[in-house]
Amino acid sequence: MNHSDVDLTPLTPAEISRRKWLRAVIGGIVGTISSIVAVVVGGTILAPAFAKQRESWVPAGPLRDLEDGVPMPVTLRITRQDGYAEAVDQQVVFLVKSDAGVRAMSSTCTHLGCRVSYDATTKLLRCPCHGGVFTPDGRVVSGPPPRPLTELSTRVEDARVFVQL
Amino acid sequence: MSIGDWFNDRTGYRAGLRRLLDEPIPGDVNWWFTLGSVLLFLLAIQFVTGATLTMYYVPTPASAYDSVRYINTQLTLGHVVRALHYFGASFIVIFAVLHLLRVLFFGAYKSPREVTWGTGILLLLLVLAFGLTGYLLPWDQRAYWATVVTINIAKSTPVVGPYIAGIMRGGPAIGALTLSRWYATHVILLPVGVLVFVVAHLYLMRRHGIAGHFRTRVLPSSPFYPVHAVKDTIVIAAVFALLFSLATFGKAPLEAMANPADATYVPRPEWYFLGLFQMLKYFPGKLEPVGAIGIPTLVIALLFLLPFLDRRPERDPRARPRVSAVVTLIVVGVSTLTWLGFRDTPKEKDPALWSPRAIAGQDLARDERCTRCHTPGGAGPDLARGRIARDDQWIQSHVADPDMIAPGLRPAPPTGLKLMEARAVVAYVQKIREGAPPPRISPENRVASHVFATRCITCHVLDGDGGKEGPDLTHEGKKQNAAWLTRWITDPSAVDPDADMPSFGGKITDGELSALAAFLAARK
Repeated sequence: MNHSDVDLTPLTPAEISRRKWLRAVIGGIVGTISSIVAVVVGGTILAPAFAKQRESWVPAGPLRDLEDGVPMPVTLRITRQDGYAEAVDQQVVFLVKSDAGVRAMSSTCTHLGCRVSYDATTKLLRCPCHGGVFTPDGRVVSGPPPRPLTELSTRVEDARVFVQL
Repeated sequence: MSIGDWFNDRTGYRAGLRRLLDEPIPGDVNWWFTLGSVLLFLLAIQFVTGATLTMYYVPTPASAYDSVRYINTQLTLGHVVRALHYFGASFIVIFAVLHLLRVLFFGAYKSPREVTWGTGILLLLLVLAFGLTGYLLPWDQRAYWATVVTINIAKSTPVVGPYIAGIMRGGPAIGALTLSRWYATHVILLPVGVLVFVVAHLYLMRRHGIAGHFRTRVLPSSPFYPVHAVKDTIVIAAVFALLFSLATFGKAPLEAMANPADATYVPRPEWYFLGLFQMLKYFPGKLEPVGAIGIPTLVIALLFLLPFLDRRPERDPRARPRVSAVVTLIVVGVSTLTWLGFRDTPKEKDPALWSPRAIAGQDLARDERCTRCHTPGGAGPDLARGRIARDDQWIQSHVADPDMIAPGLRPAPPTGLKLMEARAVVAYVQKIREGAPPPRISPENRVASHVFATRCITCHVLDGDGGKEGPDLTHEGKKQNAAWLTRWITDPSAVDPDADMPSFGGKITDGELSALAAFLAARK
């Protein structure tokens, strides 16, 4: 059948209103199906974005390993449910001992999340990505980082350090 | 009636084909107008090689790296297919930018082709999204860290940033769910998007015809096939020859497996994002979203709006100096930033180079304590085949105390290894996993590596790895000769009464001492 076979005689008002109604029915059905699919699919895709990470205390080694004022990198292993798998995240935190107690800092640069490391010769923490520099207690010396290194809660129990993640 | 005639009668394919191929092309369409066809060809190559790769690739953190290594090293012609896909991606970016510049130069974005231009910009963005999502899939160090930076850039967007980052990660941290959603995006969503917009782009190109040269010479048109198609084919052949040579003689990189705890790795994006990466160095602190989000968004918005901002009909670039100036400025800016980024890129370590740790680890892995389980067909995986999927920390604990990690599973060896020995085995297992063949080195150097990796490395750095208490020994041969080093290692206080270093005379054998001194003296 070709397009030319469509009847092109003017429509009666009743027919116009009928077609209007038919269009509304089609639009309604398509719209409903689309919204249901969008909610279901969108929900699955977006849900993980709003999931919160549980906080936990993780052992970070004995107190006697720390030197006064020198950030010591400690790799913490945190078990986490990662979808179908159980993932073991490795996070490096710096532990610094001082008279006031033990502080823990995340080693994640506050600029774009690269891993900072301690340079013993200059006594500074450096980020390899965009040249951010921090003092051993986490303050920004130079470079692009917008904030000091993130501080994490610590507690000492039986001469062992625990860090809250 | 032949089969062809019958098929034509039922489908009308001949008329369709003629309509497709007989498109009238203005006579002054030159070689610059072959770039679109080159892009179509390159997209087809990406589709075919990409589909092939999905037959072997596994998108999970535990298997992704090994499956890519399998494609690279064991699968027949696998490295060529992967290299075609890898270099093909760069080719698409290059030709997409050339295509865009050609349209800008000839003023072909102007009315009535505003929408054709818009679909083209969308296609360029889709191509860049392909590059970004594909980059993570091998799950090696460069993949992991580039993705960390990418997600953090997205996170710096004002207000919605944290949610965008969450959607990109698929959870609170980069992991299995991140990999699978980037994979789904790379192999399903983006290809469908590209297909839709390529069809729209081509349909609009046919609807408005080729803009042609901005000179208003009237030359007779000729049909696309074969008059213009022959130019397309020749350029495509040249591009393919170049791509195929690169893919055969070059190699798609695969670094060590992703290690979130590694502080020594310096992330670098793929070269076409290098300019953006470099620009971030100049936007400190709170201004970072300006560089990371603001400027790229502004450039993209300018591109989309260009046909509406520049509405006069002149197409000659000399007749629209402002547009020409801005385009030149952007091209020069991006090129300069990319060049600066290249200049700042640290030299990559030669993956074929084995550290003393890895060499010592190879010896230690032959120890009876390891081989009683780790043999082909044994209770543990064969160490020499690189089938260890655990992270460094786990391996280190396992080697130091096998019973601790696998209690009661099997009779564990009575004693573990010392910490430095354990770290050497970790380095060896890592190297094997990277697919680096064990190097041929002299027995003396093997002995020296073993001593270095179990003793010296506690305080001394060699090639960036080791303790920081003592001086860096990477270029020790420039400072001292073997005779001096022998005396020094035997008894440092006899050479310098103030020496901090403990003496090793009596702790290592004479053979070990001379091998170590010669090894360090050779480090120029």
